[in-house]
Amino acid sequence: MIITERKPFDEILETLKPYTKVLVLGCGGCATVCLTGGEKQAEELASQLRLVSGPKKLDLQVEFDSITRQCDREFAENLKQSPDNYDCVLSMACGVGVQFMSQLYPDVPFLPAMNTTFYGAGVALGVWEEYCHGCGDCVLALTDGICPVARCSKSLVNGPCGGTNDGKCEVSSDMDCGWYLIYKRLAEKGKLDQFRKIQPPKDWRKDRGAGVRRMILKEMVEEEECQA
Amino acid sequence: MRDCDLTSREVASLSSATDLMEREWAPCRNGCPVHADVRTYIELAAQGRWQESIDVIRGRLPFAAVCGRICHHPCEANCRRNDVDDPIAIREVKRFVAEFCRSKGATVNKAALQDKARVAVIGAGPAGMSAALELAKLGYRPKVFEKFPVAGGISATAIPKYRLPRDVVQIDVDWILAHGVEMQTNIEVGKDKTIDDLLAEGFEAALIATGLAKSNVLPIPGSDHKRVLAVMEFLTKVAFDEKVHIGNDVLVIGGGNVACDAARVSVRLGAERVRMMCLENKEEMPAWEWEAREAREEGIDIIHRRGPVEIVVEDEQIKKITARKVTRVFDENERFNPQYDDTDVTSVGCDTVIFAIGQMADYGFIANSNVKLDNRGRLEFNPATHQTNEPKVFACGEIVTPPGSVVEACANGQRGAKAIDMYLSGRKIDIDDSLPPVIDKIAPGTAEKVIKTKRVSVPTEQPEKRKKNFDVFEHTLEADVAACEARRCMNCGAGAEVLVDKCAACLTCLRVCPFDIPKVTDVARIDSTLCQACGICIAECPANAIIPRGWDKDRLKSATTEALYAADGELKIVAYICGHRAPTVAWRGEDHRIAGVKQFYLPSMARLKVSDLLGAFEAGADDVVVVACAEDAERYPQTAARIRKRVNQACDLLSEIGIDGQRLKMFEVAGDADSIRTALDQALKEVEKTVS
Repeated sequence: MIITERKPFDEILETLKPYTKVLVLGCGGCATVCLTGGEKQAEELASQLRLVSGPKKLDLQVEFDSITRQCDREFAENLKQSPDNYDCVLSMACGVGVQFMSQLYPDVPFLPAMNTTFYGAGVALGVWEEYCHGCGDCVLALTDGICPVARCSKSLVNGPCGGTNDGKCEVSSDMDCGWYLIYKRLAEKGKLDQFRKIQPPKDWRKDRGAGVRRMILKEMVEEEECQA
Repeated sequence: MRDCDLTSREVASLSSATDLMEREWAPCRNGCPVHADVRTYIELAAQGRWQESIDVIRGRLPFAAVCGRICHHPCEANCRRNDVDDPIAIREVKRFVAEFCRSKGATVNKAALQDKARVAVIGAGPAGMSAALELAKLGYRPKVFEKFPVAGGISATAIPKYRLPRDVVQIDVDWILAHGVEMQTNIEVGKDKTIDDLLAEGFEAALIATGLAKSNVLPIPGSDHKRVLAVMEFLTKVAFDEKVHIGNDVLVIGGGNVACDAARVSVRLGAERVRMMCLENKEEMPAWEWEAREAREEGIDIIHRRGPVEIVVEDEQIKKITARKVTRVFDENERFNPQYDDTDVTSVGCDTVIFAIGQMADYGFIANSNVKLDNRGRLEFNPATHQTNEPKVFACGEIVTPPGSVVEACANGQRGAKAIDMYLSGRKIDIDDSLPPVIDKIAPGTAEKVIKTKRVSVPTEQPEKRKKNFDVFEHTLEADVAACEARRCMNCGAGAEVLVDKCAACLTCLRVCPFDIPKVTDVARIDSTLCQACGICIAECPANAIIPRGWDKDRLKSATTEALYAADGELKIVAYICGHRAPTVAWRGEDHRIAGVKQFYLPSMARLKVSDLLGAFEAGADDVVVVACAEDAERYPQTAARIRKRVNQACDLLSEIGIDGQRLKMFEVAGDADSIRTALDQALKEVEKTVS
């Protein structure tokens, strides 16, 4: 899932300066699952904003709502009130949700309440870790399920580098060296030969190298989208 | 578990959140013949909300005070706590509530207009009075005719006062009469007036609810002796304080509750030796286990498996009864069909015999009317419509049902009233007896995780003392003891309900539940039969996708706002307090020793949300104090740790916006009155120090 973290409160408040009537909009997708941007957190943030409004003489009027996902247009129909009724919407979705909703409601500013941080998984209650980088060219088959792109600080495809240090990365002693993990996994499984195969340079065009990515599923897509 | 999903849209369309509680009934309610909403009135009692509690009780059970004393409490037999430790002492809690509120403390919901047909009710016992009440509430004008000088039926005229004092019966009678039920006592229908007279006088329907007023007596040799007493006549004389000469050596024939009553009354009247003799063995005898036990405690021997043959009279005095051995009581089909061994006959000495082998109907009321008996000598009666052969004449209660207890008679009376209403409003009599599904037994794995608590023991007089007089020997619980007992209730079915359209399947509920109840398939599924209603998952769900069935989760916030709005000008301190061990005066807001703190007591702190804490500041609180119970004093496991995390999170959210986190304080205390007061005192001092 996409992991999001709430922005520092002051930063959020700064972006709200020009506005009075604010909707804090939770997202029922990843942001809910990682316990940072669901309806509960929207309710709490709305409460914080109302609390600060008086002392800071901001005259904010803040309500909250949440929809199933902010990255699909149909769910917008479930909003209790149209965003057009507000001066701005403070979105608690990831960056995708904020932008997508902005497109849907071009007349209303959608502001991010969150920083979108990584693609991760919950490793324990309240702990999430990055597992994927979204590089567009998955190499997990070669590394036995541990991603060198996401989990090596340099995203090397032939690692490790000289900065590996007793299993840790030179970037931080708290961080596992991704390639050390791969080495260990392959060794455990008796597949160390795979380590000998030098990988050709990675095609970064499939990552961000060739600009904005777009996926078209031929069997589902409607005509005009195909032509576009 | 219900197989239909609940959505937020569906919830929005409910008239009240408690509608959800009606979807499935707890077994206590299902098992109650009148289906009193036990779970709700127990929860209200747990919070010291006595009047609301009695109103819920009386909403279904008009004889609340009587049943508080003598009900056979099928609610307790069905209580799911049986599989955890011991059932809630529901009857004792009800007894306290009913007698604390008396008749004036319970709301009377009279029909706005009582202008419908007049209905004559014959017999002021539980069945007749319950029917009359229902009819009055529907706008009919019922009038009850009672042959005795008092209303209440057997409760008032036969049940011994040590079990049920007359003033307790009167509580219920007064409350029923307040609904516009007319009553005429000392009038016997069939003798002083006929059913046809009543119909001719303008009553558009009559309801026979005369019960089983006569005692059966075995026609054995000697049974016509003047020292052979019929139990109902005997008990009625005692109930009306008439002088009754009891012998020295009494033998009560019978093994039911009435036989136990007769034996125990005989002891209290001064008989030197009292024994009971019944066909059944100890396990088979129909008396409630506790009735027989209490009788034995009072020195009454019970002779089992003997059937009387002859009452031997010498010199005009009863000398003994000869009795033969009973080889079996019930046949293969479990029907009463005793068989005897005539070669095994013993004699049991006695000078007085009381027959308590069952009651029978007195059909005197049919005199000079068209109402008929069938070929077996019983009232012609259609159980589906409650009608006799005469369409305008209905019947209910023990005259047409198997003998039962007061609450069963109430239920049948209410059903009879429904039939009369359908008839008089020109509808087909078609009574829907269907009930909502019932919550199943608690699963052993869940029962294991429920914190065990001891059932209250009712203060009871010792047998040696109690058998000397007719004083009540089981005492009413004190208010706080009753509330504490009520707090043992597991709130079956009042717990979490998932709104499937909002659930993100994030697994948080599954991870925080102390009872391991939630399962996440496509979305979270919380089995209502297992949920313990602690509220932890409701407060933690990031999607606000879990709602409680049994309480309004937004109520605390609105109550806080209301209280602080009213407290304009003062220092505004709000305290959220674990009420699980708090005294009822505190719950009721009647403990004024901590001035200046708006106190809110919660059934469990697990239900307190972070947004409630922020909301209090929004409502204008200067300081918020959380007084939680320590882990070992809480109603549910793992609550203290959870609430600590929530308070810390709320402190962080407050600090972030420039509100000093110190303005939100938490205390973990034992939870009793003193520890709560000490915590509030300390909080108040700290606040005053900061302010000055």
